[in-house]
Amino acid sequence: MARRVRPGRSTAALVVAVGALAAACGAPGSNSPQPAASASAPLSGTPTCGTAPVALNGYFETGFPLPKALTTEFSKQHPNVTWNIREDQFAVITQNAPRVLADNPPDLMRLPQVSELVKDNLLKNLDGYAQAFGWDKWPASQLEQLRLGPGGRPRGQGSLYAMGLNFSMTGVFYNKKLAARIGMSTPPATLEEFDAALAKAKDAGITPIVQFNGGATGGLAFPLQSLMASYGPPGPINDWIFQKPGATIDTPSNLRAAQHLERWVKAGYFQKDVNAVDYATMMSRFIDGQGLFMFNGDWESGNLDKQMPGDVGFLLMPPAQKGGKRATMSAPLTFGIGANAKNADCAAFFLNWVATDRKAREITVEVGGSHPMGPADAYMPDVAADTVTAGTLAAGADIAKDNGAMDFIANATGAIYAKSWTPNLQKLVAGQQTPQGLLKAVQADYTSQLEGN
Amino acid sequence: MTRPVPGQSPPRPAAVAKARSARGWAGWLFVIPAFAFYAVFVLRPIALTAQYSLYRWDGIGPSTWVGLANYAKVFTDPDLFDSLVNAFKLIVFFSVIPVVLGLTIAATIRRIAQSRLALVARTVLFLPQVIPLVAAGIAWSWLLSSTGVVNQLLSLVGLGGVTRAWLGDLSTALPAVGMIGAWVLLGLCTILLLAGMSKIDPALYEAARLDGAGAWREFVSITVPSLRQEIGVCVTVTVIAALASFDIVYISTQGGPGNATMVPGLQIYYLAFSEREVGMASALAMVLMVLVIAIALPIQRLTKDTDQ
Amino acid sequence: MIIARREAWTGRLLLVLLMAVTILPFLSLFVTALHPSGTYPVGLAWPSDPQWGNFVTAFQAANMSELLKSSVLIVLGVVPISILLGTMAGFALGHLRMAGSRLVFLLFVLGLTLPFEGVITPLYYQIRDMGLLNTRWAIILPLIGLFMPFSVFWMRAHFVNMPGELSESARIDGANVWQLFRRIHVPLAMPAISSLGILLFLWTWNQFLLAIVLVDDPVKRTMSGALGAFQGQWGTDIPLLCAGSLLILTPTLVIFLIFQRRFVTALLQGSVKG
Repeated sequence: MARRVRPGRSTAALVVAVGALAAACGAPGSNSPQPAASASAPLSGTPTCGTAPVALNGYFETGFPLPKALTTEFSKQHPNVTWNIREDQFAVITQNAPRVLADNPPDLMRLPQVSELVKDNLLKNLDGYAQAFGWDKWPASQLEQLRLGPGGRPRGQGSLYAMGLNFSMTGVFYNKKLAARIGMSTPPATLEEFDAALAKAKDAGITPIVQFNGGATGGLAFPLQSLMASYGPPGPINDWIFQKPGATIDTPSNLRAAQHLERWVKAGYFQKDVNAVDYATMMSRFIDGQGLFMFNGDWESGNLDKQMPGDVGFLLMPPAQKGGKRATMSAPLTFGIGANAKNADCAAFFLNWVATDRKAREITVEVGGSHPMGPADAYMPDVAADTVTAGTLAAGADIAKDNGAMDFIANATGAIYAKSWTPNLQKLVAGQQTPQGLLKAVQADYTSQLEGN
Repeated sequence: MTRPVPGQSPPRPAAVAKARSARGWAGWLFVIPAFAFYAVFVLRPIALTAQYSLYRWDGIGPSTWVGLANYAKVFTDPDLFDSLVNAFKLIVFFSVIPVVLGLTIAATIRRIAQSRLALVARTVLFLPQVIPLVAAGIAWSWLLSSTGVVNQLLSLVGLGGVTRAWLGDLSTALPAVGMIGAWVLLGLCTILLLAGMSKIDPALYEAARLDGAGAWREFVSITVPSLRQEIGVCVTVTVIAALASFDIVYISTQGGPGNATMVPGLQIYYLAFSEREVGMASALAMVLMVLVIAIALPIQRLTKDTDQ
Repeated sequence: MIIARREAWTGRLLLVLLMAVTILPFLSLFVTALHPSGTYPVGLAWPSDPQWGNFVTAFQAANMSELLKSSVLIVLGVVPISILLGTMAGFALGHLRMAGSRLVFLLFVLGLTLPFEGVITPLYYQIRDMGLLNTRWAIILPLIGLFMPFSVFWMRAHFVNMPGELSESARIDGANVWQLFRRIHVPLAMPAISSLGILLFLWTWNQFLLAIVLVDDPVKRTMSGALGAFQGQWGTDIPLLCAGSLLILTPTLVIFLIFQRRFVTALLQGSVKG
């Protein structure tokens, strides 16, 4: 090496340049534009999609044909509207929601948990549309879960920030052929009878429950919440999900539910590889006849009626005591409009169309398998009595009678599903987490997430 | 280098000085465009990562200064710290297996390195290097599933008892992810080491044979020492691949089950973009960058003889 | 003699085994892709009725022609600029060696082992503030910067070994620095440049993290990023997912098989120098 490093003028200049580039001026976020709270401005007249060409940006969930079926029909009726649709799995949507809404707001988006989105003013306040379209005259329970107080807490009251494409509900699907093999002629009426059916299936060499619990989505949350509903009232669980002050998931009845779930795991009622099964795998296994029960939602009714016609039944999780009230997870298929969406009016018009158009309601029932949103006296398409769809719609009526609708425990905060429920449920399956530990861990994460916000 | 050395009396000092300063000028003009890209898209982000790591920020609203609290959490929060531990466990699979197995294989096939079969193998073994890691992740998730080929083969050889969903089992998920990495890197290491072996003087082996050395002695006293530099390269490349793994884990397990395969790269991604803990993500990113440099540098020092 | 022959046979056996393990995932993808769409095939079993149409379906579903175009555009944005700037800087740092060049070089070396995850967070906000989110520029510009340490390092290693006389004689002929670079050094550097080009092409094409973070629309991503989105959208249909994966890895495979000799050399040298 002939030349040695000579710290000279050029070096000094370099250091200055790098320093300037670091631009360490001001704290992060101090100079980025803050989205302002969108107070709902009164609308002049009812919004429409107009007649000029409009391209709506949609962000939907993978694997669910309903939104696409609706948008296709909508474009048929309103040819000036075209759709740019992006799809992702629900876990990915949950991850992407805040930044997509902040930086590239879609006109219509499948929403995960909304509290934090509302807090950051990322969602359009729909009160104005609700008034213009008369949504506020629908049965109030339909929209309750989509209302939020100022700053996003608590949920269940306040302004409307999202809409449902339908009102879906979860429960237990069962394979009628396998049920006949174990002599289950009527759906179990109590938890005890349900346990007996599981045991019989196991003895007969049938997988009692096919469920998903792999990747980033812990599907054992479905049976867990069903068991919670068997053991206790839905009210406290809803309070927890709605982030009411002082609410906790770590209650005695929930503990009994979690212990019951653990017994199922230990008894081998789930598939051995449940921690590696994703939603799609679960569906194809159930359709393939590889299991008796599946905890899932009525959004699959239409699909199951098509894939295994006449062979599937639906039941609500039976209560612990005979004749007890029933409750289940039941929530609108939530869609929202970005606070800064370009075509908000047209998106709102679409949402209203979904709930009120005759053809749209038919699609909602046939493809979606769930109850449409809308006025109580709105048109209901006929459904053949031997279909699962008929079963789920009837169950929906039962739940309404018992006032047993709960939101999903995975919707309590934006991160609670991926960060807390999923890993802890996966550990429970592997025997590395106890029922008590599960609830405590989730509650701790819940508390710290609420403090952080 | 034939460069005028200070002390040698140059014939026309003024002219040389002028030429040199012109060259200095031109040199900077040649470097500045490249440096500008580097500064804007690498140095500035590194500086910003360092800055973000001192704040609590959700990426949207205003931020709060928290000092070193984020770093404290990286080392105390089990979720975050475990991701670092997992990265080190992955080194066993990403580095140790490819290097050790690669050495063994290369030593075994050294004699037939010029055969037609070896030439074909050179192409085939490179395939994992060429395809996107994402594709490798998808293919292997499928192979390792409960009904996949791996279990099929195990059952065939009478090991039906150990079959399982390899990526869905808390105790095997991380090794399974590691095996995907080993698959990707084994070919590269083998061929790299083989290329190094072809440069070893055959006379060394002849001499050893005459001395009655066995294959093992040969391997330990000739092959390995001669390959110091190649081994160093393999270790560096694979260790970095292990510490900074992202694509494979993102596709095959998303960090699950139960955080068993969470690695720093994925954790940073989740923290920054889904949990919106930008400060925490940045602190973890700083730790990761420092770790990579702290590990890569000594390996380079140890294995390179003398740097120019 | 006998020992040598036995050794050779063990070697052959080992090679074949190793190749089998390497090819197994591709084979599994291929066989699975031929099963009827929507089914859940078990292990490695040839389907009774191979569905070659799955490839067509996947090609359309993944919008493959658009994806190819997008990846090509991104490669065309990244590779030529990286090569040009990297070669220029490598020339200055390796051959001209002006005062302070060693320090600049050390700064570049600092970035050589940088994990991209380390800077992805600020990059996101930086790209957003530049208004480039969801454009191909969001992948192109940062990649040029992120590949720069390697490009410079690689080209410098070449220029360091170029004898100084080469320039002296040209300079006597009155050539200025640019002419010197353009007429004498670039032609001599072509082997190094083409290897660099191959490596940059491969790394750009397969780039995943930047694509999924900075660009939401799969049609504006790299092939690799698009495959991630394809998994998101069609992950529910295993045979189709496998068909799509195979289609998406075909372009690099084809290019690799055509240029395999250069590829292998470039990758070997690349890892040795990197």
